[in-house]
Amino acid sequence: MNLSDLFRRWRALTHKNEMEKELDEEVQFHLQRDVERNVKSGMSLDEARYAALKSFNRLEQSKEECRSARGVGFIENIVRDVTYSLRVLLKNYAFTIVVILTLALGIGANTAIFSFANGILLRPLPYPQSERLAVIEEIARRENNTNIGVAYPNFLDWRDQNTVFESLATHFGTSRFSMTLGSEASEIRGSRVSYGLFEVLHVWPQLGRTFTMNEDRPEEDGVVILGYDLWQRNFGGDQNILSRKVVVSGRARTVIGVMPRGFRFPEESELWVPLAVTPQIYTRQDHGLEAIGRLKDGVSVAQAQSEMDTIAARIAEVNPLSNTGLNVRVTSLHESLSGNYRNALLILLSVVGCVLLVACVNVANLMLARATARQKEFALRTALGASRWRIVRQLLFESLLLALFGGALGFLLSVGALRLLLTAIPINLPFWMNFSVDLRVLGFTLGITLLTGLIFGIVPALQTSRVDLNDTLKEGARGSSGSGGRVRSLLVVAEIAMSLVLLVGAGLMIESFLRLRHVNIGLNPTNVLTASLITPRSKYKEDAQRAALIKQIVERVRSLPGVESASATATLPLNGNVWGRGFTVEGYPVRGPGQAEIVQHTVVTPGYFRTMGITLLAGRDFNDSDAKDSQDVTIIDERLARQYWPNQSSIGKRVRFGPVEDNEPWHTIVGVVSTVRHQRMQEETDPSVYMPHQKMPTAGMTLVARTSSNPHELIGAVRREVAQIDPDLPVSQVATMEEVVAKSIWQPRLYAMLFAVFAGGALLLALIGIYGVMAFLVQTRTHEIGIRMALGASARDVFKLIVGRGMKLTVVGVVIGVGGAIALTRLMHSLLFNTSATDPFVFILISGLLSLAAFFACYLPARRAAKVDPLVALRYE
Amino acid sequence: MNKQQSDLFKQGTLELLILRLLRSGSLNGWDIMQRIQLLSAEVLSVTPGALYPALHRLEARGLISAVWGPSDNNRKAKFYGLTTRGRKQLEAQRKQWEQFSDAVALVLRDA
Repeated sequence: MNLSDLFRRWRALTHKNEMEKELDEEVQFHLQRDVERNVKSGMSLDEARYAALKSFNRLEQSKEECRSARGVGFIENIVRDVTYSLRVLLKNYAFTIVVILTLALGIGANTAIFSFANGILLRPLPYPQSERLAVIEEIARRENNTNIGVAYPNFLDWRDQNTVFESLATHFGTSRFSMTLGSEASEIRGSRVSYGLFEVLHVWPQLGRTFTMNEDRPEEDGVVILGYDLWQRNFGGDQNILSRKVVVSGRARTVIGVMPRGFRFPEESELWVPLAVTPQIYTRQDHGLEAIGRLKDGVSVAQAQSEMDTIAARIAEVNPLSNTGLNVRVTSLHESLSGNYRNALLILLSVVGCVLLVACVNVANLMLARATARQKEFALRTALGASRWRIVRQLLFESLLLALFGGALGFLLSVGALRLLLTAIPINLPFWMNFSVDLRVLGFTLGITLLTGLIFGIVPALQTSRVDLNDTLKEGARGSSGSGGRVRSLLVVAEIAMSLVLLVGAGLMIESFLRLRHVNIGLNPTNVLTASLITPRSKYKEDAQRAALIKQIVERVRSLPGVESASATATLPLNGNVWGRGFTVEGYPVRGPGQAEIVQHTVVTPGYFRTMGITLLAGRDFNDSDAKDSQDVTIIDERLARQYWPNQSSIGKRVRFGPVEDNEPWHTIVGVVSTVRHQRMQEETDPSVYMPHQKMPTAGMTLVARTSSNPHELIGAVRREVAQIDPDLPVSQVATMEEVVAKSIWQPRLYAMLFAVFAGGALLLALIGIYGVMAFLVQTRTHEIGIRMALGASARDVFKLIVGRGMKLTVVGVVIGVGGAIALTRLMHSLLFNTSATDPFVFILISGLLSLAAFFACYLPARRAAKVDPLVALRYE
Repeated sequence: MNKQQSDLFKQGTLELLILRLLRSGSLNGWDIMQRIQLLSAEVLSVTPGALYPALHRLEARGLISAVWGPSDNNRKAKFYGLTTRGRKQLEAQRKQWEQFSDAVALVLRDA
C-alpha cells in the first residue's frame, strides 16, 4: 500500500458522506440518460423508466462494488463491522452472557493451568544464566540407574579432570539446623556446601565474602553465611553482623557473609556452613553429596555427559572396588527440578485444552442456532450487495469480540483459579516456582482467545453465509434446518466424544487415587502425632548424651495424659526421607564390589512398632537393654524375612550392613515386623531393617505418639515437655501421621481432583449442547410433528422419535469417544496406580453414565414434542 | 451478449477498453458504455454493474481521474480522463494485448 493509496483510503473514510453522495449522483445521471434514450426510441416515460431500472437491476449492488473498489472497504468496514457486532451482541444479551461465561471458564482454566506450567516448566530459574547450570549425579546400575549421591573423592576427581564445566561445587542437600534467639528455638533449613558453590551459581554476597578453599577442611569451618530473610528475621538486618559469633545447632560460628534477597539454594536453604569433609573421612564408599556445575559457554549437557562418562570410566578403572557399576548423569538443573511435574502438567494442559475445545464446540452450536434465526438478516444484506466474504467477516468479528470478552474475563478468573489451585497443594512449593503473570502468560491467553474465536466462529460463519437468497426470503420465519442441523449434530457428536475421553480420564484418575488410598502401608496412621526434633551434635557431642536425651523426651511424652504410647524414629515413613545401606546375609555368597543388596534402614526407640501400629510378626521389639555394649541386634521386615528365610524362622540369623569389603559386625535378627511403605505409597521399594537408637544415636529424630483422642490437642503439651528438658531444641514439622500420609500423595489427589473438575465441566457443556440441539429440532419440526400426529402417530411415537434421534447422536459420540479414549488414556499411564489405562470397568461405567445423562438431556425436549397439539402445530408457522 | 462473450470479457479487458476510449478525451460513464457498444459493432456490451466498479477501481489506482462537469444535455455528470500513469499503463497493456492476440492468431493459423 503506497502513500497515495493511504491518502485515498483516508479521504474515503473522512469524506464518506460526500463520496457516497457523488456515487449516488453518478448513478442517477446514468439512469436519466438511459431513460432519455428509451423515450427517444419511442417508449412512454413510465416504460422508459422501467426499462432503465431493469437494465440497472443490480443498482445497489454495483454501488457496493464501487465502494469496495474505492478502498473504503478495509478500515471503514472494520469499524462498521465492529460497531455492528457490538450492537448485535448487546441486543442478544442473554446469548452473549452465556457465550462469554462459557468461554471465560474455558480460557480461565487454560490460563490457570498454563500459568502453573509456566512457573514450573518454562520460566528460567532465579539464578543468572541458569540455563548453564547442571546437576551431576552418580547413578548405580544395580539400582536401575537411580541417583545414589556423589562420593567426595569422585567429586574432587571430576573437578580436576573435566574441561566442560566453568566451575563445580558440591553440597549435602538441605538439612535442618537449630538456632536460638531470645527464648525460642527455631529450626532453619540450611546446607553444608563446598567452597565455590556461590561462584557456580553466579550469586555474590550482599555483605562480606563467600567460603574459601581452606574452609572446606573440618578444622577451619567455624564460619557461616546467612540468607537475607534469615538475617532480617533473626538479626533485624544488622549491618554490623560480619564477624559476629552466632550459635548454629549448638556451635558458635563467625558470620562471614549475607546473601542477597531472594537467594536460596539448594531447595529452600537460607543458611550455609562449610562442607567440612576430607576424602579420608568421606570415602568413595560414602555417597551422600550432591554436585552442581556451570557449563562453559556453548557446551551442551550432552557434551558434558559424554566427557563425564569418560572420566567416570577412568575413575572406576583406578578404583574398581568402590566405583564398579557406577556412572555419572548430567542433567540441566531446571530439568532435574521440574522433571517430576512435567508429564502431569502436559497431560493437564491437554485436558484443559480439550475442555476449551468442548466449550468452543458448544459456542459454535449456539452461534449456529442463532444464525438460523438470523438467516433473513443475512439474506437481506446479500440482496443489498454484501459479498459473502463481507458476511463471513461480520460473523467472525462477532466471534472474535465474544472471544475477547471471554478471554478478558477468563484471565481474571484464572488469577483466582490459580490461587485456589495453589491452596490445594499441601506442601510448601519450592521457592523457584514463580506463578506470577508474565508476558508468556499474557501471550498465551491472547493467543488461545483469538484461536478460540476463530475455531467457534468459522464454521457458523461459513455455514450461515452460504444462504440461498430465494429460499430464505421465501420461506418466511420458519428458517431452514437442513444442512445447519447436520453440522450441529456433528458438533454434538464431537462434544460427546471429547467429553467421554475426558470423563474416562477422570474416572481412571479417581479409580487410581482410590486404590492408592486403600493401599496397606503397613501401619495405622490414625491418632498418631509426629514432630521433628534435632539433637545438635555440637551440644550433645557424645552418642550416650543424644541417646539419653531422646529417651528422656520419649518417656516424658509417654507419661502425658492422653498418650497411649510414644517413641522416636530417624525416618518417618512417607516423609521423603530414606536411608539405603548395603546388606549381606551370613551364609550367603559374598557379592562383588558394588553388588551388595540395598536395604532401607532406620533407627527407632523401643515401642516404635506399637506406637505406629506396625505388627510384630515374630520375635521381640527393642528394649532398653539393647544398649551400647550389648549384642548388635536388628529387626527386619516381613519382605526381607520371606526373601531369605521363606520356610523357616529368621530369628537368630545374622546379617551385616555396609559395603561387603568393610568387615562390619554381624547383627542378630531379634524380630520381624510387617512391611511398611517407607518411600512411596505407590510401591514397595527396598526391604527395611530397623536398628535400636541406643546403638546408633542419630541426631535428627521424629517423635511419634499414639493418642487416645485427637492428636492435635497434644501439640502444646509436647512442646512444653521438650522445652522443659532443653529450651534450645526446636520442635518442628508437627503433623498427624494421617496428614503425613495425605501429603505424600498430594499429587495424585490434585490431579484426580482437577481431572474430575474439568471432565465435569466438559460433561455439563456437552449436555447443554445436546439439549440445545434437541430443543431446536423439536421447535423447527413442530409442523412435521403435528402432521405425524394428525396421521395417527401417538405421543409415545413422537417421544421415541425425538429421543431416538438424540440417542443416535449420543451413541455415535460414545463410540468415537471410546476409540479416542483407548488411544489417548495410555498417555496417562505414568500417572496411574494399579489401574490399567483401558480399565473396562471405568470405560463401561462412564459410557453408561454419559448415555444416561444424554438421555435426560433429550428427555425434556422429547416430552415437549409429545405434548404437541396437532391442531396448534399445523397452524404453527 | 451471450455467455461465451461475457467470459472473454474479463475485468482486465474492460479496463483496457476504458483506458483506450479515454485517450481521446474525457468521457462520462454513460458515454463510455454507449461507445463500447457502438465501436464493437454491438458485439460487446457492458452492464453498469461492471462498468462503474471498473471506473472506480481505475480511479483508485490513479490511472484515471474524475471531474464533475456539464454533460451534453447540460446535466451534472462525472467525467473521467486519463492520467499520465494511465497513459503509460495503456501503452504497456496495449502492447501486451497485441503480442497476445498476434500469438493467438499465429497459433490458430498454423494449427
